[in-house]
Amino acid sequence: MLGPDVSGYLIVAAFLFATGALGVLIRRSPLIVLLSLEIMLNGANLALIAFSRHFGRADGQIFALAVMAVAASEVVVGLGLIVAMARRRLDLDVDKLSTLRG
Amino acid sequence: MTPAAWVCLFLPLGSAAAITLLGTSISRRAAGWIATLACAGSFAAAFVSFVAMLGREPEHRSELSVAWTWLTGGDFRIGFSILTDPLSMMMMLIVAGVGSLIVAYSIGYMDGDDEERRYFAYMSLFVFSMLMLVQGGNLLDLLVGWGLVGLSSYLLIGFWHQRPEAVAAAKKAFIMNAFGDATMALGFFLLIQKTGTLEYGLAFERAHGLSSTVLNLVALGLLGGAVAKSAQLPLQTWLPDAMEGPTPVSALIHAATMVTAGVYLIVRTHPLFELAPRVEDLAAGLGAATLLMAGLIALVQTDIKRVIAYSTMSQIGYMFLGAGLGAYANAMFHLMTHAFFKALLFLAAGIVIHALSGEQDIRKMGGLRALMPRTWLAMLVGGLALTGVPPLSGFFSKDSILAAALDRGWYGGLLFAAGLAGAFLTGLYTFRMLFVVFGGEQSAYVREHPPHAHGDAVARWSMYLTVGALTVLAAFGGWFQFAGVWTPITDWLDPVARPLVEASTAQEAIASVLAVVLGLAGIGVAWWVYSARRAAAPRASRVLERKFYFDELYAGVFYWPAVATTKLFYWVVEGPLVGGSIREVTQLARWAGSRTRELQTGLVRAYVLLLAAGVAALIVVFVAVR
Repeated sequence: MLGPDVSGYLIVAAFLFATGALGVLIRRSPLIVLLSLEIMLNGANLALIAFSRHFGRADGQIFALAVMAVAASEVVVGLGLIVAMARRRLDLDVDKLSTLRG
Repeated sequence: MTPAAWVCLFLPLGSAAAITLLGTSISRRAAGWIATLACAGSFAAAFVSFVAMLGREPEHRSELSVAWTWLTGGDFRIGFSILTDPLSMMMMLIVAGVGSLIVAYSIGYMDGDDEERRYFAYMSLFVFSMLMLVQGGNLLDLLVGWGLVGLSSYLLIGFWHQRPEAVAAAKKAFIMNAFGDATMALGFFLLIQKTGTLEYGLAFERAHGLSSTVLNLVALGLLGGAVAKSAQLPLQTWLPDAMEGPTPVSALIHAATMVTAGVYLIVRTHPLFELAPRVEDLAAGLGAATLLMAGLIALVQTDIKRVIAYSTMSQIGYMFLGAGLGAYANAMFHLMTHAFFKALLFLAAGIVIHALSGEQDIRKMGGLRALMPRTWLAMLVGGLALTGVPPLSGFFSKDSILAAALDRGWYGGLLFAAGLAGAFLTGLYTFRMLFVVFGGEQSAYVREHPPHAHGDAVARWSMYLTVGALTVLAAFGGWFQFAGVWTPITDWLDPVARPLVEASTAQEAIASVLAVVLGLAGIGVAWWVYSARRAAAPRASRVLERKFYFDELYAGVFYWPAVATTKLFYWVVEGPLVGGSIREVTQLARWAGSRTRELQTGLVRAYVLLLAAGVAALIVVFVAVR
């Protein structure tokens, strides 16, 4: 059986996700990219919770908590990298970090 | 009887292992003494065993001792065993006895060589291999010894490994012998398939039921092994090259171990050969052809060791002749006397070579009789024994082989004639060598390099004493048997190998008189040409100098076609096909890699875009399929 209508939440979640993805794609500052990633994660979290409510089961919420934990640690690593870049006086521009070019 | 035989077998192996393991912690001289004492101990053990055997009835002298079951395959099982019977006993005494004398001589001869310890380890191994060959209790154990003899000869011929000729000679000997080993192994396979056993008695018994084709093939396989090991036609070319080894090694190969193995094999497996009479005739014919050919080649050789080497080939030809005719005891008797006088000739020649600072060319020698009287005497005894002049040993053994040939119809008559011609040649080439080396004026080379003794007293006496002992043996070793009157060796071997032919007293007399007269005639001609006139050798024919072109023939028939074939395959297959295809494949991979590489732009955002595009595409597909 299905729960209350969650389509509004899902629309907001999709909007958040798309905003984040767009930010990752078009911004070159690693800080902004990291911010956009957070927005994408939160969009996904919102969708998880919405579906959790829709199906009346707790899995989605638990999973959202796990995503938050992952997001937090990811930010730690990401900010650490940015600090390291700044210390070496590198440009804060993801397009300039192209050492892996084949 | 049997425990002593085991001791006899393993003492030389123990010596080889001990010298190898002790390494530099013992002196070089000590290594020589270990090897000598081990071989002498081996001879003593053989003698103890011999005395024990003498105490038994002739029918009970054969004893098989199985140490353990070595191989099992279905119904086929074979043990590691030794057979002690009159035939192997005779060989044990010869191998260990003459072998220990030669090893003792080496103490002096090899004195001061860089790698004496290795030398003595190899010598011990060689004696062990030959004892393994003659004592092996079945055909497989014999083959083990057979292969080990080939290996030891390879190691010793190539002992001076810094000389390319020595290495080439060693390889040649090994390859020729490997060919014989292969034909022998094929014969054994056939025997296993048809009779299911390699035990001597059982296999011979079951062989009676086999078809003549199978028997001929088996006998041919065995004969192939025998001619390779004994340097008979057509596998004889390795023997003269084997002279690259140290002189005592040549003596060991020629007198005690190795080349006599073929004769032993024929006598040991004579029931198989008797079932294939055509092959037996072939063996006798090959022996006759070899003895003539080797005698002719020996006439033009200028290397003192090679002259003796060809005389060995010739004398082994006599043994094959005798064994092929079924005169087994005569062949074995000649094997024994030959071991004495051939070891003597080699070791005495070694003294000459040593005294002249390693010179082996007889054209540079001359007039040594006054300078080295004792060596001259030893060589003279050896030469007379080789020629078969009574009462020295060769007379008793060679003539009885010829007499046996007279007992075999027209084919025997042919062989008899060949043997007589060989007797003449023997006298000629032996005394050509003796007169050139010892007779006449001292040559320029000898005057410039006056003979001098090497080493300390022990080294010198180890050489003099062994040569002296062999001189006595070569002089009197033939008195063990006088055909028709006194035949202990024939009686001794009778339970193992009963002769097929029995020469009458008249035939013995004819053969003896003719052979002695012709031998003396050979000596006379040699004296006339090389001593009285001291002429340069009558212009030798090129055919003889090139050794009847056997080396060239084998190079033409086997070596060059093989080289041509490999070249052809290199150009046709290796180059375009193998090499070419590898080149194409690698080029393809390289090209694909360089194209793929361009995808890696290093722009993180491009990766993200691709990722997003991929996810989007997946979603579209997912929705569409729904």
